[in-house]
Amino acid sequence: MTMRVTQSLNQTQFLSALDTLESNLSQTQNQVSSGLNFTSPSQDPIAAGAVNNYDQALAQSQQYTANGNSAQTSLQTEDTALSQLQNQLQSLRSLALEANSGTQTGEDLTAIAEQATQIQNSLLTLANTQDGNGQYIFSGFASQTQPFSLTATGASYAGDQGQNQIQIAPGQTLPVGDNGDVVFNQIKTGNGTFTAAANAANTGSGILGATSVTGTTGYSGKTYSINFTAPNTYQVVDSLGNVVTGGAYTSGQTISFGGAQVTLTGQPATGDSFSVAPSGNQSLFATVQSLITAIQSGASSPTAVPALNNAVGTALNNIDQAISQTSTVQASVGGRLNTITTQQSVQTSQQTQLQQSISSLQSLDYASAITSLDSQNTTLSAAMQAYTLTQGLSLFKYIQ
Amino acid sequence: MSDVFGISISALQAYQTALAVTSNNIANANTPGYAKESVNLTAAVPQTDGSAPIGAGVQVASVTRAFSQLAENQLNSSQSTLGQLNSLQNYTGQIDNIVGTSAGGLSTALQNYYNAWSTVANNPTSTAARQALLSQAQSVASAFASTNTQLQGLNSSINQGIQGDVTQINSIGTSIAALNQQIVTATANAGGQPPNDLIDQRDQLVSNLSQLVGISTTTDSTGAVNVFVGNGQPLVLNDQATALTTVGNQFNASQLEVASSANPKVSISSQITGGDLGGLLASRTQAVDPAVNQLGQIAIALNQTANAQQNAGLDLSGNLGANMFSVAGPQASASANNSDNTTAAVSITNVGALTANNYLLSYQGGAYSLTNAATGSAVAFTGNGTAGNPITADGLSIVLSGTPASGDQFLIQPTAQAAGSFAVALTGTAQIAAAGAIQTSVAGTNTGSATISSGSVVNAANPNLLTTATIQFLSPTTYSVNGAGSFAYTSGSNISQNGWQVQISGTPATGDTFTVQSNAGGTGDNRNALASANLQTQGILSNGTVSVNGAVSSLITGIGSQAQQINTAQTAQTAVNTQALQSVQSVSGVNLDEEAANLLQWQQAYQASAQALSIANGTFTFFMDSINGTYS
Repeated sequence: MTMRVTQSLNQTQFLSALDTLESNLSQTQNQVSSGLNFTSPSQDPIAAGAVNNYDQALAQSQQYTANGNSAQTSLQTEDTALSQLQNQLQSLRSLALEANSGTQTGEDLTAIAEQATQIQNSLLTLANTQDGNGQYIFSGFASQTQPFSLTATGASYAGDQGQNQIQIAPGQTLPVGDNGDVVFNQIKTGNGTFTAAANAANTGSGILGATSVTGTTGYSGKTYSINFTAPNTYQVVDSLGNVVTGGAYTSGQTISFGGAQVTLTGQPATGDSFSVAPSGNQSLFATVQSLITAIQSGASSPTAVPALNNAVGTALNNIDQAISQTSTVQASVGGRLNTITTQQSVQTSQQTQLQQSISSLQSLDYASAITSLDSQNTTLSAAMQAYTLTQGLSLFKYIQ
Repeated sequence: MSDVFGISISALQAYQTALAVTSNNIANANTPGYAKESVNLTAAVPQTDGSAPIGAGVQVASVTRAFSQLAENQLNSSQSTLGQLNSLQNYTGQIDNIVGTSAGGLSTALQNYYNAWSTVANNPTSTAARQALLSQAQSVASAFASTNTQLQGLNSSINQGIQGDVTQINSIGTSIAALNQQIVTATANAGGQPPNDLIDQRDQLVSNLSQLVGISTTTDSTGAVNVFVGNGQPLVLNDQATALTTVGNQFNASQLEVASSANPKVSISSQITGGDLGGLLASRTQAVDPAVNQLGQIAIALNQTANAQQNAGLDLSGNLGANMFSVAGPQASASANNSDNTTAAVSITNVGALTANNYLLSYQGGAYSLTNAATGSAVAFTGNGTAGNPITADGLSIVLSGTPASGDQFLIQPTAQAAGSFAVALTGTAQIAAAGAIQTSVAGTNTGSATISSGSVVNAANPNLLTTATIQFLSPTTYSVNGAGSFAYTSGSNISQNGWQVQISGTPATGDTFTVQSNAGGTGDNRNALASANLQTQGILSNGTVSVNGAVSSLITGIGSQAQQINTAQTAQTAVNTQALQSVQSVSGVNLDEEAANLLQWQQAYQASAQALSIANGTFTFFMDSINGTYS
């Protein structure tokens, strides 16, 4: 049996179909004009949640890039300061060698001491370098506190041992600065393993030369004293008074014991002694101050050349350690700058990928949208035509 | 001869009636609720006079409505379902838009907030960076507030809707009762002939009612219709209507519930399904409240993580950081029906276990029971509600002020108030705790090569956190802390004291010392800012598996899916409803072509009867003329 269809039902159904078709058409139209695949989460809930996650990852990645830029600026400031520090240390080294050449008069030495004092001031300025924001870069966490001030024996340090990190990738942080304690204070003395020094009361002309670590087991770590029992005889005793070695001495001789080797030149007097001890840490400013003091006392007592030579020699060793420490820090800064550059490009490509992912979920496929717009349009006009056709059908038209 | 006259006249009368019924059908072709009527003709019973019986003409036995109670019932039930879905679609659609735009705003605000922490980490002493962070924190608070306000706006719109629906339902109920009375009277007066138009009107009202609320109906022997809502709550009994009324929710008087005026104390909201009213009630419990709760859960998670990190760092003045945000805690509301004044206090003990649910705590016969307020399913808990042994469940701790009376109930809403109350607690840029609380140092006199980590705070509440502590090596393998103890040293393992934790690595020498102390003065330190920025991806909710932003994504997907699901159901139900409407229309609707054909049929029959009358008249005249000799 066929279903009875009534005109009013026809009308209702046509109107409701018209509503649906027009609402679909309007949604497609909305998509085309906004360029978005969905404008509310219900149109694609999974994609809407995913886009939110991608948006966050993108914002985060862009922040990593910004962090990297900021770290680059800080590290470049530090790099510049370290390069200048290196230059000053080289100048200081030349001055020390000049003072030690043995041909300087008292006036020359006074002039050298003055130049060294100027370098000392430059070093202080470098150690108190501030960045563009007025923050001390060698102060650790206490970036608003001036880290170094000169004292009679060197400089005091008011900073701390803190080191800031910056996040440049998920789970990857990078130190952005180096505190003054590491750069200026914690510098090993001597050759980095042990340090040799002449007794200040020595009366002979024995001068300490090159030192090195020998043997397979390395330096024993003990404290020794090289005692001259006669100008040509020496004895090495440890801190407990035990004789370790001894023998005849000639100028230029190397003496080895406990993994340490020292070279002595000149002629020590009976009773002279030289000490060998494990390296400790000494501030660069203490080294500079002791150098200046040595040169100044050399200038005031021109006969005490061996004392000057020994003191300057010790200072030279310590300056070399500072140069090496500065190079190490500078190399690390360079390495960090490279890491940032590498990570920046990783982040950039990641951002491109994320943008593509967001776009593939959120951006409209115009080809398919236009096609459905077209077909929805056709359906709507067909429905309208069908309605007018069926509405024209009525038996009443034929009743005359 | 009189037979022919009588027969013809009966036919003329019958066909006039038939033409009238057909015209009435045509006139009412577009009247809602009108059921097509048809004339039932029967042959008049002949008078027997001993000869062969001939007919006595035609008569109208009745005028009947084309009507199927089954189709009508199906349509009403389908309309109720559709009405509920339409209302749900309205609200889930609005929430969809709110979350799509406002939560999108919340996401952006959160990203900017975390990025602002990174900017502070890049330049910890910069007032500009700190000010930007405070502004972004404020944006987050505004995003929570505006989303929450819009969602709460839906609740007041639902209240208005409920009131409007109840008024309409009552008015229809009164009309149905009045029509019932008229129909019973009219039927009696017409000798049992049904008053079709009154019945049409009443059925139409029942149909309208089914769009407002799910109903069930019975028809009694007198022809009156009885209408019930919910679990058999009578709305119309014969000629009596019982009005519905609105009452405040027992836990929250600002939420309207539906009750019968016969017993206004008891809400029957939970029994009501279907229609616009059912849809409004469902929108509130299934869409609006869960969205508000989920948003609140996110606010609590953000509040908890941001504050804990702030508390573990030092601000520019060297003090431990104050809370970044503030948020209202969980709420426990006693039922208005409780028979004593016992109150419940709720606190959050574990944000990771917190849900977006509401809970119902009941005390009955000396025992507590805890159920999910939305589903009614039991929730496992421990404790007895005393301060010493609180009721704990789902990261909550509930303490009651005393022993409640039997039958007392409390509604526990852990997260409902959070989004609306979320605010920035910090007032100045100096209060931002960008620096770590402690700093460590290696003594310059150390001869070993061991290094110390920068340290981390594990318990910011430890009163000695900022007290200086010294770790000294008694030998390369043992150390003392503050001159006490002798602990075995393992390179890189944790050393904990006073709420902090550090690691010493490498080879220490005897006598080497390391210091852990307050980082006051370390204003350039960014460790805490870095940690705060990293909270963005840190899992906190769902036992530490879902981050704050992850929860926002889930909210967006969840709300979108719900709206999508309701849209699909509504589309399907619209199709079902169209079919139900077709069934009713195919029985009761007026087809104009059919009526046109009927019109012609009755017209022709009328004309034929008139012709028969005319012929009878001619025959009679001829006969009379013949008698009178007119023809000769």
